[in-house]
Amino acid sequence: MRALTGNRLADGETVFWRKGQWVERFAEAELFADDQAAETAEAKAKSELTVVVDPYLIDVIESEGLWAPLSFRERIRALGPSNHPQHGKQALGGEDIAALQQAHGAARSTGRVALIKRK
Amino acid sequence: MYRYDVIDREFVADRAAEFRHQVNRRLAGEITEDQFKPIRLLNGLYLQLHAYMLRIAIPYGTLNGKKLRKLAWIASTYDKGYGHFTTRTNLQLHWIKLKDAPEILEHLAEVEMHSMQTSGNTIRNVTADPYAGATADELDDPRVWSEAIRQWSTLHPEFSFLPRKFKIAVTAAAKDRAATKIYDIGLAMRRGRGGELGFEVMVGGGLGRTPYLGPTIREFLPTRHLLSYLQAILRVYNRYGRRDNIWKARIKILVASLGAEEFARQVEAEWEKTRKEVVDLPDTELARIRGWFTPGFAKLNPRSEAFEAAKAGDPRFARWARHNVHPHKQPGYAIVDVSLKTPGETPGDMTSAQMELVADLAERYSLDEVRVHYTQNLILPHVRQDDLPAVYEALKGAGLATPNIDLITDIIACPGLDYCALANARAIPIAQQIATRFADEEKAELVGELKIKISGCINACGHHHVGHIGILGVDKKGEEFYQVTLGGSGEEDAALGQILGPALPADKVAPAVEQMVEVYMRERKDGERFLDTFRRTGVAPFKEAVYADAH
Repeated sequence: MRALTGNRLADGETVFWRKGQWVERFAEAELFADDQAAETAEAKAKSELTVVVDPYLIDVIESEGLWAPLSFRERIRALGPSNHPQHGKQALGGEDIAALQQAHGAARSTGRVALIKRK
Repeated sequence: MYRYDVIDREFVADRAAEFRHQVNRRLAGEITEDQFKPIRLLNGLYLQLHAYMLRIAIPYGTLNGKKLRKLAWIASTYDKGYGHFTTRTNLQLHWIKLKDAPEILEHLAEVEMHSMQTSGNTIRNVTADPYAGATADELDDPRVWSEAIRQWSTLHPEFSFLPRKFKIAVTAAAKDRAATKIYDIGLAMRRGRGGELGFEVMVGGGLGRTPYLGPTIREFLPTRHLLSYLQAILRVYNRYGRRDNIWKARIKILVASLGAEEFARQVEAEWEKTRKEVVDLPDTELARIRGWFTPGFAKLNPRSEAFEAAKAGDPRFARWARHNVHPHKQPGYAIVDVSLKTPGETPGDMTSAQMELVADLAERYSLDEVRVHYTQNLILPHVRQDDLPAVYEALKGAGLATPNIDLITDIIACPGLDYCALANARAIPIAQQIATRFADEEKAELVGELKIKISGCINACGHHHVGHIGILGVDKKGEEFYQVTLGGSGEEDAALGQILGPALPADKVAPAVEQMVEVYMRERKDGERFLDTFRRTGVAPFKEAVYADAH
């Protein structure tokens, strides 16, 4: 299963793709079981030059009955910095945030490798 | 304090206006991200994990109350009310919106600050001894020379597209508080045989993936030739530095591949060819710059009864004075280190309220000067000893009087994976865990000088290679692991650390530090520092203690 993420151009906020729109919470992200659908969405996102920067696909796993990004880095992006728990989306709390915080098992996301190559 | 002239002021204001235009074009879709990215990086604006990060230049770490107050205001107006001081003495704001960035640059320009050359393949913000102008062990004020380099290097047309970024550090004291051996160019002031002033020139130091200590390529360069000689070094680098491979593009790789002797020969040849055509350092300009850095010290009694009484009457003040107050060259004054390392907090972070308080203290008690140290602490360089109790009380009230300078809780940590798009692992929580274990001030004092430096990736922004204990975050299939090195130093006895053994999982790092401290306490002789004990015993006893369970 995969999700599509990027940073919003205007403010840099971490955002997730949901049926042609961008949402701020990972819990609202559209999940793709089908690779072709995911890649089609990614291509469309990449054409939205004034909305989002560097969109890429990430792997997700099941955690506490909910979904969470597989890689540790992506979980930090979805939550906020661990040294300032009052900052980032983690400050909003909720079941989905708790699931992200408790998620285990990680692998470097393929999206990140591509990002590093671009830097 | 340096001052802009009319041309500087107009230029920096114009630059902010130009950036506003480019931001508007980007937001309107008139240029792509690939076209815009180099423009935002030219203004120190990065896109990190959660938001844009703005890196603000603080030339040789020197601030006054007005500048620091402006930084506080920017942090509370455009960010989340705090900023992060870095090992390059810059201030980073981690929650910036792209649309606000031009306005922030305009506000910085109002106080003669900017974000230029805090990114990109240029000569970066020059750093210097933070005790400059205050310490008795300096031969001259290194800020005079740092300022000359700042003026020369800012937007130097020939060196605005180097093979890679380029960093210069300057000191004029025997005690190296500027880490000169780990920079592209390190300048350490020396006296010649006839008593004249000059620089030992070290080139090709640097950490990162391939760490090197900078070899000396010239034992003594008369000060008047500083800029022409720097130009010769940069020209050789610009000509022969590798541009085909980002990992081999720093000058350290060129110096290492040629050998320091051959590199020096090429620099000398270039210098001989060009030195007569270059405008070097005119005495009148140097005198003008020097005038900016000559504070009016009062004539004071070398012994302060108020200071002595406070030390005798308050053990906590006495401890703070032992670790955070240092001798000043001027009788009756002292240098005060302001620790940004309260155990449990983020190393180098400072709230807007704290910045405002230190700005007030600088204006009232320190001849309107503040310095940023590469250790991510601040310094009030010129405090009257009589005023130390008042300064302490004010700092204590703001959580800024932790008495731990150079102790185990005075940890350098880069932002790591909590913020940085390049990081592999977090650095801050590891620092917090270690510092919390040694939060007992008596315990930390008993351990004595012990410098821990943590980086969240191989780029080594946390200087882990030169930590007495260095900690490097690595990514093992997406999990955070930490490689430990021992025996590094970034000072006059500079050394690169030696790897302790296999990388440790995050929850084993702080216990490992505790185990290594136990080994040190057991093994140390005659007041040895941790580093001295390690140099005497080697890695074996430390390795044995940390990996005992694995046997």
